[in-house]
Amino acid sequence: MFKRLPNFAVTNQFGLFLLVIFFVLFFSFFTDGFSSRFNLFALSRVVAIDIMIGLAMMVVILTGGLNLSLGALGVSAAMFGGWLMETVGIPIIPAMLLTLAMGGFLGWINGYVTVKTGVHSFIVTLATMSIYFGMMTLFTEAEAFRKLPETFTDFGSLKIFNKYVSPLLLVSIFFVFLLFYFFKFTDLGRKLIAAGANPDAAELSGISVGQMFIYCHILSGLLAAVAALMLTSRIGAAIPSMAGNLGFDWLLPAFLAPVLGGTLLSGGKVTVFGTMLGAILVTLITNGLYLIEIGEFWIRFFLGIILLLAVLLDKAREFFAQKSNVLS
Amino acid sequence: MNNLCLEIKEASKKFPGVLALHNADFKLKKGSIHALLGENGAGKSTLIKIITGLYKQDSGKLLINNVETSLNSPTEAQNRGISVVHQERNLIRRFSVGENLLLNDLPKNKFGLINYKLVFERSKEWLELMDLNIDPRTVVSDLTVAKMQLCEIAKALSIKSKILLLDEPTSSLSPQETEHLFTVLQKIVREEDVSIVFVSHKLEEVFELCDQVTVLRDGKNACTSESINKLTRQNLVKLMIGREEQIIKSEKKVVSDQKTVLRLEKINTELGHHDINLTLGKGEIIGLYGLVGSGRTELAKCLLGLEKIVSGQIKINGNEVRLDSPKTALDRFKIGYISEDRKKEGLILMHNVLENAGITIWSKIKSFLSFLSDKAIHAKVDPFIRELEVKTPSYSQLISNLSGGNQQKISVAKWLAAGTDILIIDEPTVGIDIKTKSYIHELIIGLAKKGTSIVLISSDMPEMISLADRVIVMKNFKIEGNEPNSHNYADMSSKIMAYIHD
Repeated sequence: MFKRLPNFAVTNQFGLFLLVIFFVLFFSFFTDGFSSRFNLFALSRVVAIDIMIGLAMMVVILTGGLNLSLGALGVSAAMFGGWLMETVGIPIIPAMLLTLAMGGFLGWINGYVTVKTGVHSFIVTLATMSIYFGMMTLFTEAEAFRKLPETFTDFGSLKIFNKYVSPLLLVSIFFVFLLFYFFKFTDLGRKLIAAGANPDAAELSGISVGQMFIYCHILSGLLAAVAALMLTSRIGAAIPSMAGNLGFDWLLPAFLAPVLGGTLLSGGKVTVFGTMLGAILVTLITNGLYLIEIGEFWIRFFLGIILLLAVLLDKAREFFAQKSNVLS
Repeated sequence: MNNLCLEIKEASKKFPGVLALHNADFKLKKGSIHALLGENGAGKSTLIKIITGLYKQDSGKLLINNVETSLNSPTEAQNRGISVVHQERNLIRRFSVGENLLLNDLPKNKFGLINYKLVFERSKEWLELMDLNIDPRTVVSDLTVAKMQLCEIAKALSIKSKILLLDEPTSSLSPQETEHLFTVLQKIVREEDVSIVFVSHKLEEVFELCDQVTVLRDGKNACTSESINKLTRQNLVKLMIGREEQIIKSEKKVVSDQKTVLRLEKINTELGHHDINLTLGKGEIIGLYGLVGSGRTELAKCLLGLEKIVSGQIKINGNEVRLDSPKTALDRFKIGYISEDRKKEGLILMHNVLENAGITIWSKIKSFLSFLSDKAIHAKVDPFIRELEVKTPSYSQLISNLSGGNQQKISVAKWLAAGTDILIIDEPTVGIDIKTKSYIHELIIGLAKKGTSIVLISSDMPEMISLADRVIVMKNFKIEGNEPNSHNYADMSSKIMAYIHD
């Protein structure tokens, strides 16, 4: 029975897919308005951002680390973008590119400090989370940018496919395919995975592991900036508290999506499509529970439970992986 | 009445697709040192795991002191007096020797706190039994591998184990350390009423130490609890591999016209290497011999730029170079390193065959936008995997599912694919069965013939003498001797040992 293990990830993703279908059917039957045009559109806008947040965390989990500063980093980058667009008055496209550059730069700081000091990324990003958020609040004086160019904010409220879907979701799906291609078919993508899976062996095979880990953090920062830009476009303003205090609101979906999707917490394994499915599942459940009107506390309760179950699943995967090692 | 303390009767164990054990028998007499032999994949590990309670046999019986027993966990096996001794794995490295020995039953004072005075007193007795002259307050991580191993045995005895399983106990010990271990083993068998199961690939040791032998081949008994006196080395090899052993020797080469590829001049390193001078010719195999801890692997790591070189020069093809990382070593100077620890440093166990074999050439064969396809990698590595006759159902098989020998072949294949000029090979045949071992020996000789220069690090004297053109002896991070290989075992081994023990 262990022989099938290489396909375990596949079956895991298939299981996720079935769960998604199950909850779609469940909420369609048992709630009012789940399958309404309005709700599905709202859902697609949220899912789009949760996918990006999940991917941003996934690429750091790949190194066996994590990025607690994800929310703070994303919001900082988006506030920078808002300032560029509103105060400086730079055109949208260059402003967005500079925002991504800012995200990448903040990610680089995380990676550089982690690699050069050898301190676990948990501590490093816990510190930078506070630093980034603090600096951002200082520079913006906690004021939002509410007069962003209309072309930018309109995109977030645009409806396509018979007004059922937000184009933001297409952006996320584009990134999903881009990352899938990157990890599967490029030299750099493979090196990142190898470095995460066994740093010693990768180093001795001629891969600069430190550099690879820094790249992962840069990538995480970039993706977080994308997520934050999408959120800004959706809300129609860049608001310092849009990811909660210190960016905390992002952390739960950030971990849930990749862990549910089958990314190993010990590093060395990514599942891009799994992370997407994980994000969809989490958003779906949250949305459905809102519609059932069981109250905010219960939703948090359930999300916590799901994260614990997902972590147990991760442990089970490791256990089975070890079992198959014992065999040889 | 017989005097068996452990007996396995017709045990079978099946894994998906493999019958790991098929009606295997095993009889351990009280007070005996019993060799368990077999090639990798012959079923030794499965049998050991049944004896230690890690696996349960599908059919067959397990008897302890002639009573049929079932063991459901390693703890249960331990409670019944069966212990496995690994090299240093079961010790807590930051704890003292004394704490480790008595960890399961630390003596307490009347307040329920640990009585350290008593801990060190009691553990001292066990250490003396092992002829170990160390202070029980020493922290385990400060010990040599050999001493850790003896501590493990002491720990097993302290919990009243009567059956000890030793799995490849000598693979990283020097001849002297091995000698000491054997003396201790014979003593505890005599004085402590202990029986030992000894697993090793080194047949010389089996003849020296053991009185009985069981050989497994393809999950079945090739012989069961045979008295060692009735067998010769040739008999044993034939039982293990089903045919006669072929002994490979590199021929003597004319060294005069060799171009020097690598030259180390007065190298001092941060790790403590002192005044290292070394040359390596094109197509030459130099052997680095020395005890564990003499600085051989460490020297290799300095060459790869993983550790700092404080002074001295490295010249490659006559030009002075700076090696700052394995990446530089590989990309610019075509230096490769096959690690002694293939599971930790050589391979990525959770990845498949293709990923592992191709890792060194990804950068080289990527195309536009860094695009890299499995097909392109496959085309590059396939000839080498075929040449090495790696047994794997497919290239998408996970490395962790291959046998040790095949894993080693993959860790060699990736460097063949990389096309290196200088290859540092560290303990290439530790824990490898005889068939694969001679295969890898042939391969090393073949590589050198084709012009690859090889630095061979090995603690296996016969291997060293059959492969190396020159043997360089290291001791305490210094080079003590540089001896052209005469390929005469007696002559060479005495010369080498003289450098180590002058």
